[in-house]
Amino acid sequence: MSAYLVSILTEGSIFGIMALGLNVIWGWAGDFDLAYYGYVAIGAYMTLVLTIGPPVPPAEFILGLQLPYPVAVAGAVATSMAVGLVVGLIALRHLRGIYFSIVTLGAVYVMYVMAGQYVRLFDGYNGLSGLFDPMGDWFGFDYQTYQYFFLGLSLVCFVLVFLFMARISSSRFGMALRTLREDERAAAAFGRDIYRLKLKGYVLGAGIGGFAGALFAAYLSAFNPSAWSPVEVIVLYSAVLVGGRGNIRGVALGVLIMGVLVQESTRFLPQIPNHPQVVLALRGAIIGLVLVLFLRFRPQGLLPERRYIDREPAVEPAPQAT
Amino acid sequence: MHEALLTLGFGIVTAAILALSAVAFTLEYGVTNVANVSHGEILTVSAYAAYVVHQRTGSAVAAALAAALAGGLVALAMYLSVIGPFIRFGATPTVIFIATLGVSFIIQNFLVIGFGAENVAYTIDPGAPQNIGPFLLTPLDERIVLSAAAITLALYFVVSRTKFGKALRAVSQNRELARVTGINATRVAAATFFLAGLIAGYAGFVLAESVGTFNPYFGFSFFLITLTASVAGGLGRPFGTVAGAVMVGIILEFAGNYISASYNLAFAFAILAIVILVRPRGLFTNARRTVFE
Amino acid sequence: MNIPAVATALEVRGLSKHFGGVYAVENCSFQAPLGQVTGLIGPNGAGKSTAIDLISGFKLPDAGTILFKGRELEGLPPHRISRLGLVRTFQAPREWPALTVIENVVMARWDARRESFFQGVFGLGRGQRAAAAEERTRAREIISELGLDAVRNERAGSLSGGQKRLVEFARIRMAQPELVILDEPMGGVNPVMGERMAMAIEGFIATGTSVIVVEHNLPFIERVTQHVIVMAQGTVIAEGPFESLRSSQAVVDAYLGEVVSDGKA
Repeated sequence: MSAYLVSILTEGSIFGIMALGLNVIWGWAGDFDLAYYGYVAIGAYMTLVLTIGPPVPPAEFILGLQLPYPVAVAGAVATSMAVGLVVGLIALRHLRGIYFSIVTLGAVYVMYVMAGQYVRLFDGYNGLSGLFDPMGDWFGFDYQTYQYFFLGLSLVCFVLVFLFMARISSSRFGMALRTLREDERAAAAFGRDIYRLKLKGYVLGAGIGGFAGALFAAYLSAFNPSAWSPVEVIVLYSAVLVGGRGNIRGVALGVLIMGVLVQESTRFLPQIPNHPQVVLALRGAIIGLVLVLFLRFRPQGLLPERRYIDREPAVEPAPQAT
Repeated sequence: MHEALLTLGFGIVTAAILALSAVAFTLEYGVTNVANVSHGEILTVSAYAAYVVHQRTGSAVAAALAAALAGGLVALAMYLSVIGPFIRFGATPTVIFIATLGVSFIIQNFLVIGFGAENVAYTIDPGAPQNIGPFLLTPLDERIVLSAAAITLALYFVVSRTKFGKALRAVSQNRELARVTGINATRVAAATFFLAGLIAGYAGFVLAESVGTFNPYFGFSFFLITLTASVAGGLGRPFGTVAGAVMVGIILEFAGNYISASYNLAFAFAILAIVILVRPRGLFTNARRTVFE
Repeated sequence: MNIPAVATALEVRGLSKHFGGVYAVENCSFQAPLGQVTGLIGPNGAGKSTAIDLISGFKLPDAGTILFKGRELEGLPPHRISRLGLVRTFQAPREWPALTVIENVVMARWDARRESFFQGVFGLGRGQRAAAAEERTRAREIISELGLDAVRNERAGSLSGGQKRLVEFARIRMAQPELVILDEPMGGVNPVMGERMAMAIEGFIATGTSVIVVEHNLPFIERVTQHVIVMAQGTVIAEGPFESLRSSQAVVDAYLGEVVSDGKA
């Protein structure tokens, strides 16, 4: 397998996990949450500060521990969930629709600005780096073999998250979340505590985002504000939309399609000398166009949400006393 | 105290530019019920138009006119190609919101293709600062504040005294009802977008001049502050928006001065979040909005 | 007012709510008897919907008491009131459109344990599965009884208005509340469905659920109710069996404005 293919599949698995987390908040609970990528970023940053050891001046960042990777991942997920809880507590109390989206946009912007400007946190625009081949030394892999190992790890993680999502989807908890999306008032009239339930879904989504971020940090071996660019964000949201919001298979399909689109859409264009950003910008414009077209012509995505078909025979009604 | 007054003076200049952008955004929202996330791109495109024209003709006036016209055309195009069709198709406000986010992204990328991603320097000699009362302003600042005031007044006349203004208010309040009384809501909305674009375009020119430099993303950053001013004033109410803009502009100037300018946007959002949470209908109404009411 | 000594399902005393200086509900008091169908009628703007919103927790009263099963409901959020056994419908059918009919019915019951995150996701014990199976069976019975079996697996959003109302009724049967408040159930429904809905309401009573029905369709009210409350201008102006209200001057006056504007006599 070529190195290119290995890295594509690895990145795809990680994006898949990201998309599944967003699906919980946007697909199932129905809230267009613009803060989501922030949880991914927090997961990445926290993983790094928990594994790369103390900062070497002039670099500055918090913590700087040297914990084993799995422990750092747990810490990263916990942090993402905590931040998600704070944002959710504020944004989910009274806000819906575009008001909710705007406040979450504000939240992610504050996170972005803090990460970039408040140098003491994560070394500002320099960002963090140095997470090389986590867990590679446990097994004594060389560089080549490690790529396969990490690919395998990412795929396994994706499958585990996918199965977890499948379990939630068919569980009463998942169905309750969807009743909130479908009709909140009716859900409340039938006993659901809307605020609490939405919060649970939101924190769950944030946690999955953090988990994806932890893997992403290992994949990139670094993270800084430039890895937190609009393109990544738009591709992620487009993947969930294009594939089918609310349907985990759809989301996986969406990641596949957007991944192919991103890689292949500008493959056949020549690089214009002195203007390397043109190709990237063209790709960005194409992705934006795909998003708008799907919103207009196929907002439910390619794979609509599945319904449970009850195949048991009909039950004869008990004879009524007239 | 003196410094506070100076800051206040600068705040008024910021507020003037903000008011223009915010009023335009509010006009767009009022007539379609859509939060146009690509509003900032109207300013960006206009800034580029002004720059190009200024380079060719050397005239700031021509540049200003070009900016306004470009803004009007871009806004009109946004309505005709995206917002209008989505409304007719029956999309929810959130869906249109996301769509305009996509449009914003598309426009930014096209600008990068056309002009590159680097900062473009747009310097106009602002003139020597003069003391106007307790404030210290350059002639450029004065022009900005005066033209903003003039445009706002002109807009007030259009909205309250002309036939078009009446139709605009009718459509803003109740689209269906306006239709029933024979008003072509689509045409009114399109014309309103053009008008909003003219104002936003001019604001883009002024902002670029005032800051001295811009790039394909500068409109989007300013949009976030614009949004704060509009929500503070009450989405859909143009004159509350002006008050909101003045407030936000001044607050930001003070915050930037006494804390740090680079956290500007974060502050804007903090204000926005607080306003939405406490008074989602804007600071100047009594309405409280809960999930159920 | 002389009210016969019957057990009450719901008692409202001095309920008031104003919006910006206008009283939508003002000093409204009534009792809904247990085990009966009580109608709540009145001209448009009488405050009926607001009263229901206040009772079910969707709006906060400015003053007044709401007594249900010995508890005061003012200030409680809707989900808590629902968990106490008071369920309501809305003027427009509020099914969960993307969920199928049977999913709609199954989800009508709030199950604290099975809907919690950990129990719901990780609890796969036999007890859980038995409970789920029993629940599905019950849902199927109710669906059959209401004649919805043909559309059991259809998404609720694709049904007709009348069918959606029946789904709502199925949900109510599933939830088995002590009291259900129906907000204009005949709204947007083909009059042909009227009898089916009346029978469904009788089914509620038979299974131990008291009913309050808000309706404009007076023949329907006459058909299903044993006790009627008339509201106008935010307060109760008359109470009693439907027959007795025909001759009440207060009621005629209240409706006169509406009747004249409707063009009916």
